[in-house]
Amino acid sequence: MRTFCFRKSSCVRVILSAAAAIMQIGILTFGPDAALAHGERNQEPFLRMRTAHFYDVKWSANDIPVNGEIVVTGKFRLFPIWPVNLPLPEAAFLGNGTPGPVLARTESYINGVPAIQSTKLELNRDYEFKTVLKGRVPGHHHVHPMINVMGAGPLLGPGNWLSVTGNESDFKLPIKTLSGETIDNLETWGLGRVFFWHGLWVAIAIVWLVWWLRRPLLLPRLRALTEKGGDRSQLVTGIDRLFGASLLVATILIVFFGFQATDAAYPRTVPLQGSRATVEPLPEVPEQVKVVVNKSNYDVPGRSLRMNVTLTNNGSTSAQLGEFLTSNQRFINHEVSQAMATVDPNYPKELLPPNGLKVSDSRPLKPGETKTVDIEAADAAWETERLSSLINDPDNTLGGLLFFYEEHGKRTISNVSGPMVPVFTDPDNRTAENPKGGAG
Amino acid sequence: MQGGTSVRLYGLEWPKESARISRVLDLLVAAILFLAVSGAFHLHYMLTAGDWDMWIDWKDRQWWVTLTPIMAITFPAALQYVFWTKFRLPIAATFAVVCLLFGQWINRYFGFHLWSYFPMSEVIPALLIPGALVLDVALLLTGNFLFTAMSGAFAFALLFYPANWFWLAPYRLPVEVMGQLVSVGDYISYAFTRTALPEYIRLIERGTLRTFGGHSAIIASFFSAFVSILMYLAWWHIGMLLARVVTTPNTLKNFMGLTDKDEPAETAQKAIDRTSLQGRFVATE
Repeated sequence: MRTFCFRKSSCVRVILSAAAAIMQIGILTFGPDAALAHGERNQEPFLRMRTAHFYDVKWSANDIPVNGEIVVTGKFRLFPIWPVNLPLPEAAFLGNGTPGPVLARTESYINGVPAIQSTKLELNRDYEFKTVLKGRVPGHHHVHPMINVMGAGPLLGPGNWLSVTGNESDFKLPIKTLSGETIDNLETWGLGRVFFWHGLWVAIAIVWLVWWLRRPLLLPRLRALTEKGGDRSQLVTGIDRLFGASLLVATILIVFFGFQATDAAYPRTVPLQGSRATVEPLPEVPEQVKVVVNKSNYDVPGRSLRMNVTLTNNGSTSAQLGEFLTSNQRFINHEVSQAMATVDPNYPKELLPPNGLKVSDSRPLKPGETKTVDIEAADAAWETERLSSLINDPDNTLGGLLFFYEEHGKRTISNVSGPMVPVFTDPDNRTAENPKGGAG
Repeated sequence: MQGGTSVRLYGLEWPKESARISRVLDLLVAAILFLAVSGAFHLHYMLTAGDWDMWIDWKDRQWWVTLTPIMAITFPAALQYVFWTKFRLPIAATFAVVCLLFGQWINRYFGFHLWSYFPMSEVIPALLIPGALVLDVALLLTGNFLFTAMSGAFAFALLFYPANWFWLAPYRLPVEVMGQLVSVGDYISYAFTRTALPEYIRLIERGTLRTFGGHSAIIASFFSAFVSILMYLAWWHIGMLLARVVTTPNTLKNFMGLTDKDEPAETAQKAIDRTSLQGRFVATE
């Protein structure tokens, strides 16, 4: 018997290569079930520092079974010093950054308004959001709240690792239609009809193709068309035309009666819904503390942001600077107990730089008082989160939120923004580990 | 076929062995062409009508209905030129859309469903086979590309929406979600989220065809049918141009000293004129 494998060793090599290729495809397709994060560190620092600032974000759980629910809540402020190269948030959508639809979103709201449609948002205003997610694909998933802004792209909130356990095949997302049908699972709804109609038309198409392919195909037909003596009438016969005409009539009849039957089966349908939601921002709260940035430096060797700011308390109560938030990094002033109390134990540790915020004078700012203080946010996060690449951006203005706390814990938020000047060499030899400088 | 050492195929004498080899070649070419057209047509279609074809909440009554036939008639038209003028085979359109459908189902099942976790109900491709069958039969019965354009290409687009309504209707049932009216398709895509494809980015009907009595799909189908005629004609000619065998002179041989001293070197322009450009619209059949 003739065979393509002339030697045994060749056969073995071919079989092993094929097996390796199949295994590789299999591993790539079914292997990694723990997808990693979403490239948020790859977004330009000006984008992360001066667009949407998420705060008070909470996840109701970190582990859920398939079909279990996680509720993500929090607030975000759209920064007033919005990058000039980004369009304003005329159309925005509350999304969730996940590695594909590993969780099903069943509800989402901005300020209590359903966020199934896009909406217009305003700068320098705060919004409260809530998203209900249902476990679907088992694994360890990094999940962010997110605002998509038309023209600006996805603006990610803080990401947290969530575990979904169980069996994917147990997932169900049922719903009842307004016309009375009960849908057991949206994942598989309508697929029987899809497979039937796709299969039917593919079968008809194959009949048509085989009708022609069963006869000698290429060279004989080409010769018959181009050479003397070729009989063109045999290429397309009367029977072919009759069969074609019958197929034409059958196609039109199937489409016509199929359409009628479908319309009768589903008399009440609606088009895709494309309206825009209207969302009012949260009531405006005047800034209690006015912040003016006198100077700001990013100390490259020390991985530290230093700001010299003038604070003016325009309120009627004293206030302490408790937190600096930028790019989802929360630099907490450890000397302010009210600020420390706001840290949720479930909050992702990688978003809480351990050195926190150092303030040269943390004493409460009295009503009407103005004072100038030095603020330092030193942490390796500036490098690991790739925020220090702000010095390479054409727009190197930094931005963030400063949280001030009254004695009884009431909080007010002030925007902070200013040009950032890098310091490449430090004459005092200061570093994050050795902030006082010198020989250490 | 006759007995002996030769057979008669379409009026011409063929040695039996040649006829056998020709048949093997038929099958090889068919298999290779199937994969090549699947890949090329799928790529073209995804780049031009991709999102409408991919997502259940993009298949609207205006843009999807308008754009899909216009973008999908391209390869069928170009292949019809080759299949019909060179081989008298009226199967190009059906062949092309079956290839496309094969590529789409492979892509949706392995790429979108298994790899990216999207449920199949969110990523069903459109059906183009009924229109393609009519396009092929129109060419078979008329034998003329102009009449095929006016009848077949027109029907290709007109049949698109009703032929897809069979399977699409269950995804347009109304549901109430968070006190809002949406279709099942809207809710499927809302629930199984696309991180980088938010709601506002959908190019779908937003109510701009109200002046036509709300019959968006019918208006869009007729508009698409008219444009499909033009697209068919354009791509028939693209098929014609791409099917030409063109040779270009090796002008570098002058520098290599390979020119025959008695024969003056042919310029590139002259060679192009000779081989390709002159008479390009007369050499159709």
